[in-house]
Amino acid sequence: MHRTTHRLRSTLALALALSLPLAAAQSGRESTLVLGGDFSDLITLDPGVSYEFTGSLLAGNLYDTLVAYEGNNLTTLRPRLASSWKVAPTATGSRITFTLRDAKFSTGRPVTAADVVYSLNRVISLKTPSSFLLTDVANIKIGSVTAPDAKTLVMDIPKTANPNIVLALLTFNVGGVIDSAEAKSHEQNGDFGTAWLKDHSAGSGPFALNRWDRSAQVALDINPNAFRKSPNIKRVILRYMQESAVQQSALNSGEIDVAWDYTPDAFNAALKNSKLKALKTGTFQLQYLGMNSGKGAAFEDARVRQAVRYATDQDGIIKSLLQGLGRKTQTIIPIGLAGSNSALPYTYNVAKAKELMAAAGKSGGFSVDFSIPTGSCAGGVPCQDLAAKVQSDLAKIGIKANIKQMVSADLYTMYRAQKAELILAPWSPDYADADGNGTPLADFNAKSLAWRNVWQNDQASKLAQAAAIETDATKRVALYKQLTELVAKDGPYAILYQPYKPVVTSVNVVGFDRNANGDVRFEKVSKK
Amino acid sequence: MLIYILRRLALMVFVLWGVTLAAFLISHALPADPAAAALGNNAREEQLQEFRVKNGLDRPLAVQYGVYMGKLLQGDLGTSLRTQNSITADLKQFFPATLELTLGAVVFAVLIGLPLGILAALQHGKALDLLARIFALLGGATPVYWLAILALNIFHERLGWLPGPGRIDAYSLAPPVHTGLVTMDAILARDPQVLVDSLRHLILPGLVLGAFSAALLTRMTRSALLEVLSQDYIRTARAKGLKQNRVIWRHALKNAALPLLTVFGSLFGSLLTGAVLTETIFSWPGIGSYATTSAISLDFPAVMGVTLVAGLAYSVVNLLVDLAYATFDPRISFS
Repeated sequence: MHRTTHRLRSTLALALALSLPLAAAQSGRESTLVLGGDFSDLITLDPGVSYEFTGSLLAGNLYDTLVAYEGNNLTTLRPRLASSWKVAPTATGSRITFTLRDAKFSTGRPVTAADVVYSLNRVISLKTPSSFLLTDVANIKIGSVTAPDAKTLVMDIPKTANPNIVLALLTFNVGGVIDSAEAKSHEQNGDFGTAWLKDHSAGSGPFALNRWDRSAQVALDINPNAFRKSPNIKRVILRYMQESAVQQSALNSGEIDVAWDYTPDAFNAALKNSKLKALKTGTFQLQYLGMNSGKGAAFEDARVRQAVRYATDQDGIIKSLLQGLGRKTQTIIPIGLAGSNSALPYTYNVAKAKELMAAAGKSGGFSVDFSIPTGSCAGGVPCQDLAAKVQSDLAKIGIKANIKQMVSADLYTMYRAQKAELILAPWSPDYADADGNGTPLADFNAKSLAWRNVWQNDQASKLAQAAAIETDATKRVALYKQLTELVAKDGPYAILYQPYKPVVTSVNVVGFDRNANGDVRFEKVSKK
Repeated sequence: MLIYILRRLALMVFVLWGVTLAAFLISHALPADPAAAALGNNAREEQLQEFRVKNGLDRPLAVQYGVYMGKLLQGDLGTSLRTQNSITADLKQFFPATLELTLGAVVFAVLIGLPLGILAALQHGKALDLLARIFALLGGATPVYWLAILALNIFHERLGWLPGPGRIDAYSLAPPVHTGLVTMDAILARDPQVLVDSLRHLILPGLVLGAFSAALLTRMTRSALLEVLSQDYIRTARAKGLKQNRVIWRHALKNAALPLLTVFGSLFGSLLTGAVLTETIFSWPGIGSYATTSAISLDFPAVMGVTLVAGLAYSVVNLLVDLAYATFDPRISFS
């Protein structure tokens, strides 16, 4: 007993003595980048399975895709694992032929076309949350992708799919290329290594996973074999910090280099702080009001829906609630995608809105349930505050919106059942292409947002379907112009804003950039 | 004694079965769809249906409960809907962090509450007693989240004396996991730097979480001791000329220990389950934060797992407290 106490005491003394030269051990700080944020959405690091924001952020640094968007240019595809590619029409649709560059996985094995075939087939077989991108959007199945030799990959797609959309969705996690030999060696019960890849990595990206301590931290280390070499940052650590206040204190004390989830208030304070860099980074999110347009519903008459759009004070919302962290837009394709429409047909005009209400025979107004989620809406604004502002705007034209706050899961259950009268909700496309919004928001048959708001417009459905498969870029943009104009006029949405995502870094962090897809290339970052 | 323990254990099984049933019924009474919660806003109807079938959510409630209990009897707590992980594995990972935090809080509570209560009783009516009573009042009445943010702001951000959120420094990597207690793992890994770092990280959240318990212990120790000190046998002991220390430690405290033990037992249980706010603010990856995330995403099996573990921990601590009674008071026997 006494001996143990004595030993413990001497261990502690030794520990204290050793803790003194702590400064010397911290020289690695210049090459370590620490992000603090709410990363609780991270479920898996497997690029074929991950679908959430944090999963995508990490997949982009652990794995390479054939093609990619670079920086904030999300309209031009760049080579990544494929050094070149060409699209050619065939009798049944089109064929994309990729030529692969020389690359190595973090395991040291070379990246071959067979690895790409394995990775894509794996996603199709596993039926992961993102499988539908390959099976339903790209319309490919096992056998559609082949590898005639180690450096050539051939992908055959049918007429029902648009090769441009296929290329766009290959930039997402779902196109991440896995070391097939490594995955196979960790396979259990035919899971294609999914259980292992959940918290291990086997990619060719600039980083490899050191380890993931769930709810605490994710640590990435440099991949020495990568062709996207990281010259300065050797280790990246994502620290789970849910609260904006905690992130602020950690950033101010130098404990983290980058704060991922600031509130608009905290962001504006950071703008004035010379020790910090406050970045307004783009997103493809839209925060909108959905109006049930079904038979007998309050918003059945298109004029009532227009009245709501005239009565919504977008400028006020962006200025006061978002404190400038949002862009004004009124059409359904987000700014930054080819096909988005910058027209702003609605000015804030209460008199005009009242006229439309009267024309629809609703001059006396009406009362509806206004369903809103708990927590924060897009751009970090409390949904409650946003809803209160909308409520007061609508009250001016006689619409009494009774706020009903629910947890998201409940809210969406009701929304999916077409039972929401008026709803406050966000939307972001599954892939960086106008179709990611065009089909769900305009085509009733897609059983997504248009369906949930019981808005059936055959012309809109036809336009959305035609635009999805149009391969001529100019014609496609023209189709989306027609579609966005139609939905802006008749559709069941009042778009409130497209938010920015505020990211704050310490002033010594250089080269940190997050694009609207949510990608950050950690290998481009350095610390002064 | 042995029979008593066996009887208590049998009773515990019954209590825990009640806990599972209550938790199951409450979580399934919610008019919400866990599939929609797990797959998110953009998921399509076919995906939702596939998810429900895969996770057995399409079956009648009684069947679902039967399946759950069947697995539970084999030690399987089921699969998390959100992460598709085994819940047993999840709890194994998250529980040690909470245990470490709770033990830290208990240590602080005892180190502060016990001496302060004793001193207050001995200095009855004097300045120190008043201070102790103010502390007991404030400690009991201060909301933990406010105290947490205040403590972080003062001791971490402004003064820089203590580290902020998390279990270790953001730039260092935690030692390999053996026990899940970072302090123990650091000792096993013979990494004194991480050991000191992890102990320093325990101070603020431990103090914050322990503050309420410390206040309660101060109050209870003070009043229990005051009562004992007024007893005849203490006067006799003093009259015999025994030294103050001996009177306090051997005679008074031992007799005041029983009510303290009861408080201590229930404190430990409530600390273990009540760490939610402290864990959130200090980014502490324990079952508190696990329970919150699971509850928000309607991850029923995970919520039930946490409930069961909390119930188990509470029952075990209570049993240990009851058994300890006999040690402190020979008049109590469990036959």
